[in-house]
Amino acid sequence: MDDRWMLSRRQLLKTLAAAGALAAADLGWWEEPLMRPRRAWGAAPVRFQFSVPEPKRTALVESLAQRFNQSQTDFEVKVEFVPQAQARQKLIAGIAANNPPDCCQVWDNWVGEFEGMGAVEDLTTRVRDWKYYKDVTPIAWQTVTLKGKVLSFPWVVTNDGVYWRTDRAVEYGIKPPKDDWTWDEFSAAARAFTKPEKNQYGFGMRGQGTWAVLYATEFMYANGAQVLKDGKVAINSKEAAEGLEWYLDLFRKHKVCPPSVPTDGWRGIVEGFGRGITNMYIHNSGSSEEQKDFVGAKSFATVPLPLGPAKKRTSFYFSETLTGFRNAKNREGAWRFMSWCMDDEPKFMYCKTLGLLPSRKSLADRPEFAKDPAYQGFIKSFPFSIVSPYLAYAGWGGKIDSEGVPLFQQALVGKLTAREFLEKFAEVLTKNMA
Amino acid sequence: MARSDASVAVALPRPLLSRRARTLLTGYLYLVPVAACLGGTIVFPILKAMHMSLYNHVLFKPQEYGFVGLGNYRRLLRDETFWLTLWNSFVWVFGSVSLQFVGGFAAALLLHQSFRGRPFVRTVTLLPWIVPGVVVALVWEWLYQPNYGVINDVLLRLGWLRERVAWLSDPGLAMPAVIATNVWRGVPFFAVMLLAGLQAIPDELYEAARVDGARVIQRFRHITLPLLRPIIIVATATRIIWTFNYADLIFVMTSGGPANATQITSTYTLVTAYTNLDFGYAATLSVVLLVIMLVFTILYLRVTRGIESVT
Repeated sequence: MDDRWMLSRRQLLKTLAAAGALAAADLGWWEEPLMRPRRAWGAAPVRFQFSVPEPKRTALVESLAQRFNQSQTDFEVKVEFVPQAQARQKLIAGIAANNPPDCCQVWDNWVGEFEGMGAVEDLTTRVRDWKYYKDVTPIAWQTVTLKGKVLSFPWVVTNDGVYWRTDRAVEYGIKPPKDDWTWDEFSAAARAFTKPEKNQYGFGMRGQGTWAVLYATEFMYANGAQVLKDGKVAINSKEAAEGLEWYLDLFRKHKVCPPSVPTDGWRGIVEGFGRGITNMYIHNSGSSEEQKDFVGAKSFATVPLPLGPAKKRTSFYFSETLTGFRNAKNREGAWRFMSWCMDDEPKFMYCKTLGLLPSRKSLADRPEFAKDPAYQGFIKSFPFSIVSPYLAYAGWGGKIDSEGVPLFQQALVGKLTAREFLEKFAEVLTKNMA
Repeated sequence: MARSDASVAVALPRPLLSRRARTLLTGYLYLVPVAACLGGTIVFPILKAMHMSLYNHVLFKPQEYGFVGLGNYRRLLRDETFWLTLWNSFVWVFGSVSLQFVGGFAAALLLHQSFRGRPFVRTVTLLPWIVPGVVVALVWEWLYQPNYGVINDVLLRLGWLRERVAWLSDPGLAMPAVIATNVWRGVPFFAVMLLAGLQAIPDELYEAARVDGARVIQRFRHITLPLLRPIIIVATATRIIWTFNYADLIFVMTSGGPANATQITSTYTLVTAYTNLDFGYAATLSVVLLVIMLVFTILYLRVTRGIESVT
């Protein structure tokens, strides 16, 4: 073998050190790039499952884990990145096989399902003595409380608002919406924004994934509907059917949405806006940082959802949780890591980097969140936001996705009327009230 | 006294097994590793699936786990989505395979002619078959993308479309669109198989027919088709079985949507197992798929046995 092409041990170490320095330098969003190796040796491992492995989040979470590992000597967090589509099934399989991770990051609508399996660590007693307990907003605690038990840390909270293309509005002479705008104004703006010859549409409606049903439900609420009334499923009410009919007609009748709606999931609506195909879409603050890169911070704003004919409106609260497991091998390590993630610096960096709103008041009041125009639509929605009604029953979490969404798609493409969809959907919800 | 060297012959103890039995046993012992592998990877999972299909086994409802007998099969008979997926499966299989066959046959006939650049065309024809299925699905998903996909863009520029078409979002177009992708991917399979068959037909037969005054269509009908029959049957039957089980293309392109328009039984089984985590019902669907596949396989074996005896 030609020796010229063989790396010496020293060369190899230099190469590795250079690669590490480059990787650390890449984390420009963090004021102080992590360069030092961790100090702890023989620390007990903590398995942490993270379920949105996008490049930005991956770098962020890896860095958080390294910082935690460096901050103490007892535990070493090892992050397991799992694609979001497989995260739920992997966790449930882990629980069923009695081998769950020590803790994980999941949306609150799955936690009830895990609790139904008797798998979630009850944090109630410990969080009440935790130093930031009172700093976390009560509604954030509500998203992770089931039958009086606090099951997770609400890492971040989200509610929904409307993303609005400000530069295009100026170009087309469309008046910017006021905070108390109505369905009629929403519909008029969507029509004015729609220019099919330019491949531009007014509203990027979501047709795939759980939130396709949730966004539609928010419109039903604006028409006076409710998911549950007196302990019974009431989503098949007249108000719900009328509200849904109006919402679906934006796509079916008025054609103010792109033709891809029935298969547009989260990525579809975010990219549709980012690529200039759509001029409005509904989402939480989680895509605001992405849109700053796509369309530019000055080219969009966020506004609250419009008021419906019933002079009502609702935005659903959700939280991205940190959840520990009862049969975890390192419950203490999991608690220490989860509570550390809720500390000032890690929590601020996580939320600011991803454009998510912190669940702690003292952080949410910082100007980086309170003054940023990209968050205004969400902050102004706080007064009328409620915890998602679909969190009421653990059995609903998976069913909305597996049965509700295909039914909703049938309504979208005209195979079912709004009323027929709601009757079938109410049946699914009633069957799974457990 | 002189010692005698003579010894008395002692009868050997009678072996436990006869020579014939030992020979047979040795033969079977050689088969044990293969049998263990097949048993562990094929027979045991099939039996396990049959066993699971008799239980209510929803992974996130461990407290409801229990024997339900034929309950899952009764549920399947009432399940409208299952019947829809079964119909979709037949449309998917026969739509894909028939068009693949026609395209593959045309390609094979073309590639059988001698022309300049034939090796290049042969290589290009094979490309879709070489690309992994998931990559094919992702590429075609982008080509079909209604807002910024190439297909819409080209058709609009040519003036063949007035407005953008949602190929994969329209329930009426989604199945033809995924079938078209599968046809693109499967044509090379038929092309290669049939080309091999064409090359095995002796030229003398065509020359003799030509001397007798047979025209192109007559030569095709009376020489090419009958002699290609064994290959056509084997290739088609194999392809039908593969396509019936082929879930990844649809799973990546549409996830069975919109509104179950492209949901075939194999993707429905996947969704039931890995999204709904309903392993009992997914096992039931698998058993039914197995029975359907067995019917195809028996037909295939019967037909090919006939071919073997002819050849």
